[in-house]
Amino acid sequence: MAVIAFSTPKEPIHTGLPIKGFLPLTAPSIVLMLFFAIPMGMMIGISFQSQTAGGPTFASYSRFFSNDLVLAGLTRTVVMSGLVAISVTVLAYPLAYYLARSTSRWRTIIFALAIAPELAGVVLRTYGWLIILEDRGFINSALMWTGMISEPLPLSKNLFGVVVGLTHVILPFGVLSLLTSLQGINPNLEKSAQILGASRLDVIRHIILPLSVPGIVSSLLIGFTMAASAYATPALLGGAGFKVMATMVYEQVLFYLDWPFAAVMANVLLILMLTAGFVGSRLESRLHQKLHL
Amino acid sequence: MNRLLTYLFRMVLAAILAFITLPLVVVVAASFSPTSAVTFRPSEWTLQWYAALWDSRWLDPFLLSVELALIVSLASGLLGVLGAYSVAYAKCRGHTAIMAFLLSPMSVPQIVKGVAIVLFLSSVGLYHLLGTPGLIMAHIILTLPYVVRMAATAMFGFDKRLESAARILGASATQRIRYVLLPLIRSGLFSGMTFAFIISFNNIPLSVFLVRPGQTTLPITVINHLEYSLDPVLAAVNVASLLFILGAIILFEKIGGFSAQFHGGSK
Repeated sequence: MAVIAFSTPKEPIHTGLPIKGFLPLTAPSIVLMLFFAIPMGMMIGISFQSQTAGGPTFASYSRFFSNDLVLAGLTRTVVMSGLVAISVTVLAYPLAYYLARSTSRWRTIIFALAIAPELAGVVLRTYGWLIILEDRGFINSALMWTGMISEPLPLSKNLFGVVVGLTHVILPFGVLSLLTSLQGINPNLEKSAQILGASRLDVIRHIILPLSVPGIVSSLLIGFTMAASAYATPALLGGAGFKVMATMVYEQVLFYLDWPFAAVMANVLLILMLTAGFVGSRLESRLHQKLHL
Repeated sequence: MNRLLTYLFRMVLAAILAFITLPLVVVVAASFSPTSAVTFRPSEWTLQWYAALWDSRWLDPFLLSVELALIVSLASGLLGVLGAYSVAYAKCRGHTAIMAFLLSPMSVPQIVKGVAIVLFLSSVGLYHLLGTPGLIMAHIILTLPYVVRMAATAMFGFDKRLESAARILGASATQRIRYVLLPLIRSGLFSGMTFAFIISFNNIPLSVFLVRPGQTTLPITVINHLEYSLDPVLAAVNVASLLFILGAIILFEKIGGFSAQFHGGSK
């Protein structure tokens, strides 16, 4: 026993690791290279090819930007994603504020209610909205039964339906990003403002809103990027007439098999996301300066 | 004034919570509704749609989704631990750059990743990998960053003196991994794997590019039917797969402590 207790380790203790650093990295790196990095590189490469010409060309890009139907789809995507970003943030803010400040026993239940729908998946939630918004659906049949309307309101197969459905799908992510930001605001700031005579509205306008700008920006960004790349909800709630980038990309790959054009569309979508991220971070620093933070 | 604001705030909260729960409640109600036209006041209740689920039309896609989710969560768990080990624990050279590489698939939209993978498989002549092998690989790319991040978070908080102590007491390398490292990162790893399971099981945007006709996952089968009709059997499928996911989470929770992650990690 004494021999073991007094034996010194063969290597220095502080550098002793069971396996050296780079070796375990091999497996995940190979998988990521083969099925992510190389495909992404190839996709960007293919976007500079054309089905007719040989060498690298911008033909597919100029086709993209001269096609009115495709450009309408791009505009539709931006408008839809912007509306979803705003409605997610507006709905998530009160919820996140309550979750950040409440100490009541309702807090856990409300947190679960806000996050749990994420487990249900997109199809179930979109199906729910289809049942609610359809011409013969929940809302329309209720309104017609009470005699308030005689014709069903056009609630689905259009922009309105898609924005409602996507807002529901993305809301939990908005709540989480606002919650992190609101929890970082010291509650004593609010208390001292109230002691000094500020009303609730003053506290919200002059303390909570300015200090939660980073959370608001990240919620807007998450809302925008998730909406712009969403596939199932626009496809189902938008119907055949409401084409967005994601549904158009899908058509190009699976029906038209026009790979250069599909790659161009995917690249434009990627650039749209990166631009949104850039604009978001610029906006945040501008607002910070304006609010003297 | 302040009291009025409080009441107003509570009403707004209640409205938002109603918005969140309404679609789920409606689907559950529809799954017990006897007519194929989903009304807002079903006159009687039935279980016929749940009985109709025992059919290869629904069972085959369900089994494919379960198979995928299991393989994907196990594989990304294994790969994620290896990656997180090098980055967070061994801190090998350039570990921040390696971490950025391991997390990079997260910043690319799923639909773009889907296009890239399909183009890659077809242009290198691996078109026959569409279907299950392609789906597994694509889902791993999707879920690996989550597992790496959660396992790395658990390893960053790891007390290196425990490792030294085990070493001084004569534990071999494999013993140290088995009895010191793995138990300490267990809850982080299981949370990541649970996420991987849910993400893979519910996935549409990536899978939609890679499924083969006649051999699709459950969400894709449902979405294909939904484009043509609002059959109540679809409500039953949705509710059943939600129950399956809840069951899987409870099981993962029993093995690995999924919720421990939300109460201060592995400590």
